[in-house]
Amino acid sequence: MIGKIKRKLSDNIMDKFSMDFLRNQVLKNAYGNDDTVIAKLDPRVLLVWYLFLGLVPWFVNNLYFLMGCFLLVLATTIIAKVAGLVLVLFGIGVFSQTGYLFVVSLFFGGDASTIIPLLTLTLKVAICSLASVTVFSGLDPDRLSNGLMWFGCPERLSFSISYAYRILPMLMEEFQNILLSYRLRGNPPAHDTFMGKIRYLCYQVKIIMHAFYPLMLNTAKRSRTTVEALEIKGYRFAAVNQEVRKMKLSSLRVTYNDMLFLAISVLWISVVVLLSTI
Amino acid sequence: MELAKRQTATQSQKLMVFVLSMALYGLATLFTELIPKFQAGVVEFSVEFFLFIPLSLSMLFDPLSAALGAATGELVFSEIMLGQFGGLGELEKFLTVTIGVYVAGRMVKNPANRKMVGIAAITGTALQLFLGMLVDIMKVQFAVEDFEAVAGLPESVYATEGFAFLNDLLFSGILFCLLPTLFLVPKLYGKIEPLLGMQPRSEKTQMERFGVKAAVGCLIAFVIAAAAELLATSGISLVEWEADWAESKTALAVGLVVAAALSVLILAVMKAKADRGQKEQA
Amino acid sequence: MNIIEIENLTYSYPGAKAPVLNHISLQVEEGDFLAIVGNNGCGKSTLCKTLNGLIPHFITGDFEGKVLVGGLDTSQSDVGTLACKAGYVYQDFENQIVRPTVLDDASYACLNYGRKDYLECGRKALALCGLKDREKDYIWQLSGGQTHLLALAGALSLSPDVLILDEPIAQLNPEHADKIYGVLKELNEKYGKTIIVIEHHTEYIADYCRHVVLLKDGSVVWKLPAQEALRRVEELQESSIFPPQVTCAAHEMRERNRLVCPVLPTTVEEGRQAFAGLRFSGNQKRREETEKEQENEPVVRFCDVSSSYRSVKGEPRVIFDWLNLDIRRGDKIALIGSNGAGKSTLMKLMTGLIRPAEGDILINGESILKKKTEDLSKDISLVYQNPEQMFIKDTIEADIAYAMQVRNVENRAERTQKLLERFRLTPWKDRDGRLLSGGQMRRASLAIGIALNPGILLLDEPTANLDIATRKEIMRTLADIRNVTETVLIATHDMQLVCEWAERIVVLSQGKVIADGSRDEIFGNEDILRRAGIRPPEIFQMGRSLDRRALCYTIHEFMQSFEEADI
Repeated sequence: MIGKIKRKLSDNIMDKFSMDFLRNQVLKNAYGNDDTVIAKLDPRVLLVWYLFLGLVPWFVNNLYFLMGCFLLVLATTIIAKVAGLVLVLFGIGVFSQTGYLFVVSLFFGGDASTIIPLLTLTLKVAICSLASVTVFSGLDPDRLSNGLMWFGCPERLSFSISYAYRILPMLMEEFQNILLSYRLRGNPPAHDTFMGKIRYLCYQVKIIMHAFYPLMLNTAKRSRTTVEALEIKGYRFAAVNQEVRKMKLSSLRVTYNDMLFLAISVLWISVVVLLSTI
Repeated sequence: MELAKRQTATQSQKLMVFVLSMALYGLATLFTELIPKFQAGVVEFSVEFFLFIPLSLSMLFDPLSAALGAATGELVFSEIMLGQFGGLGELEKFLTVTIGVYVAGRMVKNPANRKMVGIAAITGTALQLFLGMLVDIMKVQFAVEDFEAVAGLPESVYATEGFAFLNDLLFSGILFCLLPTLFLVPKLYGKIEPLLGMQPRSEKTQMERFGVKAAVGCLIAFVIAAAAELLATSGISLVEWEADWAESKTALAVGLVVAAALSVLILAVMKAKADRGQKEQA
Repeated sequence: MNIIEIENLTYSYPGAKAPVLNHISLQVEEGDFLAIVGNNGCGKSTLCKTLNGLIPHFITGDFEGKVLVGGLDTSQSDVGTLACKAGYVYQDFENQIVRPTVLDDASYACLNYGRKDYLECGRKALALCGLKDREKDYIWQLSGGQTHLLALAGALSLSPDVLILDEPIAQLNPEHADKIYGVLKELNEKYGKTIIVIEHHTEYIADYCRHVVLLKDGSVVWKLPAQEALRRVEELQESSIFPPQVTCAAHEMRERNRLVCPVLPTTVEEGRQAFAGLRFSGNQKRREETEKEQENEPVVRFCDVSSSYRSVKGEPRVIFDWLNLDIRRGDKIALIGSNGAGKSTLMKLMTGLIRPAEGDILINGESILKKKTEDLSKDISLVYQNPEQMFIKDTIEADIAYAMQVRNVENRAERTQKLLERFRLTPWKDRDGRLLSGGQMRRASLAIGIALNPGILLLDEPTANLDIATRKEIMRTLADIRNVTETVLIATHDMQLVCEWAERIVVLSQGKVIADGSRDEIFGNEDILRRAGIRPPEIFQMGRSLDRRALCYTIHEFMQSFEEADI
C-alpha cells in the first residue's frame, strides 16, 4: 500500500516536469480562463490599469500604499484564475530578484534594518509582476494584441503574440517527439548515486541542446509554408494599411463592466492613499 | 521591376527568419523560465542558456531579423504568455538581446570559418551580458531609496552583479553559447537554407562590414534601454517635489474616495439598467 | 471559357541549374474539376504556385512565358489580387493556419484585404466546409480532418473562382477524405468553382474529377477526360501512378486474353458490367492461414489498462478504460480504427512513454512500470509517423548508429553498414535525413527502428503521406523485414497495407478493442466495418459486389478467384 502511494507520489512529481504538463499549463493559462470577468474586460482599459500599477509603485515608498496595491493585484489575480504554474514562477521570480539580495547583504554587514528597504523593493516587484500576470494571463491573447495595437504598438508585435499562441502547441509537440527519440534510443547514465545524478543532469542539458538541431531544421520547413500563406492572406498588405487597422480595432468596446472595474480600482487606491496619510 | 522583385523577395526571407527565430528562441526561453534554475548558493546562473539559437541563426541569415525575432520571441513566449511581463524592464532585455545577437551576426562573413563563428559568438554573448549587468546595477540603485546609505547594499549589488557577469560569461557563456554555436553553425550551414528557399551566405552575398552606422544604432538602442530604467529616479524626485501639498493630502484623498465611491455607485446602477434593457429586448 | 491559360511557361528556382517547368502550355475551363498527376519532383506543386502568383512575386527565379488566371496576367498583378482569383491549400496545411481560433483564421484574409464584411465572409466559408458549429473553437481542438477543412475555408473566404489543393487527402482516413471530396464536389457543382487537385489516389480521381493532366519532367504529357486518362494504364504506371485497382485488374486480364472489354472500367460501378461475364471460383487461401497456427506465448500483455489525457478545460479525456489485449510472439498485427481511437496512445504505452493510470503492461512477462524507457528499447522499438522527428543527428548513418553507439554494441560499424545496405541507403549515408526523398526518409526511419534488433517493432502509419509508388516500395521493405523482427505491430489507415501484410487485425474504436481476428473475419463483417469507419480496398469491394462469397484482397487474388465463364 505504502509502496503504491510512493509510486503515485513520485509519478506525480515526475509528471510536473513533463513536456505534456508544461504544454497543458501554458495552454490553460492562455485559453483556459476565457470566461472570467477579467478576460471579458476591454484590453485598453486593462492596459491603462496595468500602466498605473506597473509604474506608480516604483515612485512611491510608502509601505501602506504598497501593501494596498499588493492586495488589489492579488485580488485580480485570483479573479483571473491564473494557472498554478504561473503563480509558482511568480514566487520564484520575486525571490530571485530581491530575496537573495537580503541574504547577500547580511554577509556584507547588513542587519534587520536592511529588511525594510528590501521589503519595499519586494513589494514593488510583486505588484508589478502580479499586475502583469493579471493582464497578460487573464486576457485572451488576441484581445491583448488588439489592445496593444490600439496604443500604437508595431503590427509585428501584435501579430507575433497571436501567432505565438497558435504555433506553441505545435512546436512543443514537435520538440516533445524529438526528445522522445532521444529517450527511446539514448542511454542516459545511471542516476542512483549523487555523482550519477549530476552526470544525469548534465546529460539532460546536453540532450536538450542537441535536440535543437533537428528542431531548427523541422521548424524551418514549417515557417516557409507559414510565410507563404501569410503573403497570400495579405498580411504584409494589411500591415501598412490604415483602413484595415481601424477595422481590426473596431471590435474593441468599453462597457460598463470596464468602467466599474476602473472605478473600483480607483476607489480602493484612494482609500489606501487616505489611510496612508492619516 | 527587377529591383522591386528582389526587394519583396528579401522582405519575405526576412519575415521567414523572423518567424523562425521567434518561434525557436521563444520556445527555448519558455523552458529556461520553467526549468528550475541552476542556483549555486545565492548566485543565480541567469544566463540565457539558449542564446545559441538566435546566435546561430543570425550568422546564417539576416542578422537583424534573427535578432529582433529572438527578442520578440522571448518577450511574447516567456514574458507575456507566462504573465512574467515586467513592464519597462523588459525593454532592456529586448534591446540587449537584439544588440548582442545582431553584432555577433554581423561579425561573421563566412559561416564555414569556425574561428570567426567562435569569436563572434562569445563577443555577442559578452556584450549582451555586460549591458544586462550595467542595467541591473542601475535598477537596484534607482529602486531603493538611499541606496548608498543602506548598510552593505551597494557592495553586495556590485559584488553579485559583477560575479554573476563573469561567472555567466566564463561558465554558461562558453558552455551554452560558444560551444553549441560552434557545433550548430557548420552543421546547419548549407542544410537549413534550402528548406527556406534561400541561398547560403557566402563571401559574395555578405553584407557590408560592421560600420559606424550600425555601431551608432546599437549605442542609441542601449541608451533607450538605460533610459527606460532611469525613468524611475526622476519619478522619486517627482514625488518629493510635491511635498508642499502634503498637508492637504488627507483632504485630497477624502475627496478622491468620495468621487470614486460615487462613480462606482452610478456605474453599477447604469449597468443594471442596461442589462435589464437588453433582457427586455431579448 | 478558359479560366486559366498558361502559355509556354518555363521556370527555374533561384540558383537551380535546370528548369522545373519546361515550356508548359495548358488551358483549364471554367468549372472544371482537374487532377494533376505525375511522379515526385515533376513540378506539380511549382506549377500550382505559379497560378496564385507566389511565383514569380514571392519566390523569385527565372520566369518566362505567360500565365493568365481569370483574365489577369499573373506577372502584372499583385499577390493580393490573385489571391481573390485562386485559393491555395498546402499539403502541410496545418502550417497555413496562423490564427488561434477557427472563425478568426477563416476571416483573416478578408480582414487583411480590408473587406468590411470579413466576419460574414469567414462564416460563409466555414458553412461551406461544414465547420459552422466550430466557429469559436481553438485550432488545437480540431481533428486533422477538420484542420484541413479550415485551411480550405481560409482559402475559400476570399471567394476565389479557382481552388487549388495540394494532395488534400494524403494524411486523412477514408471518412475524412470522403468528407473533403464531398465538400469539393459541392463547391464545384453548386457554386461553379474550378477545382484543381494534385492527387495520387486514382480512386478519388475516378469518382470526382473531370479531367486529368499528366506532368512529366516539368512538361505536360497530355490532358484528357478523367475516365479516358485512367485507362492509359501503362503510361500512368510509367510515371509511377497507379490507376484504380479495378482498372488494373481489367487491364491485366485483358492482357492475358481472359477478358474481353473494349473500354476499361474505372469504378466499381463500371466494373460490375465489365466483369459481369466472370464466374466466382472460390477464395484463395493464403498459406499462413491454411497452416494450423500454434498459440505462441504473449510478449505484450495489457492488463486492465486505463489511460487518459489532460485537457485544457474540465475533466481529463479518457482514452482507454479497462483495456485488455495480448500480443503473441511472431504476431504480425495491423491496428486499425479511425483518428483518435487510441492507436498512437497504445503504442506509446508499450514503449513506456506514457504510464498507464491504472492497470499494468507486461513485456516478456515483466511489468513495464519497473523498467526505464531506455532499457525497454532493447525489446521494443517505435517508428514514428513523421520520420523527420526521428532524425536527431546530421547524417542518417550517424542516426542509425546512435542507439548502438551509446550502448557500446559490438561491431556496430559493421551492423550500420549492413543496415544501410539492406535499406538501400548507402549512397546517401552522409546526408541529413530531412533532405532525402519521402521513400528514403521512411526507409531510414525503419533502419533506425530495427538498429537494436528489437523483438517487437511498432510502426505508426508507415505509409502515410507517400505517393503510391513509394508506398509500394515501403510495403516491399515491410515484407522484407517480416523475417528480421519477430513481432510487428502497425497502426495504419492504409487498408491495402493491412490486406497484403497483416496476419491479425485489431480494430480499435473509442478506446475499446471491438474486433480482433483474421482479415476475413474483419472485412467480411460489415457491422464492424461500419462501426470503426473502415473501408476495404476497392478490389475487395469489387469482388463482393460480383459475388457475396468473394473475399479477395489484392488484384492477384481477384484474378485467381474469378474466371471467365464458359461461353
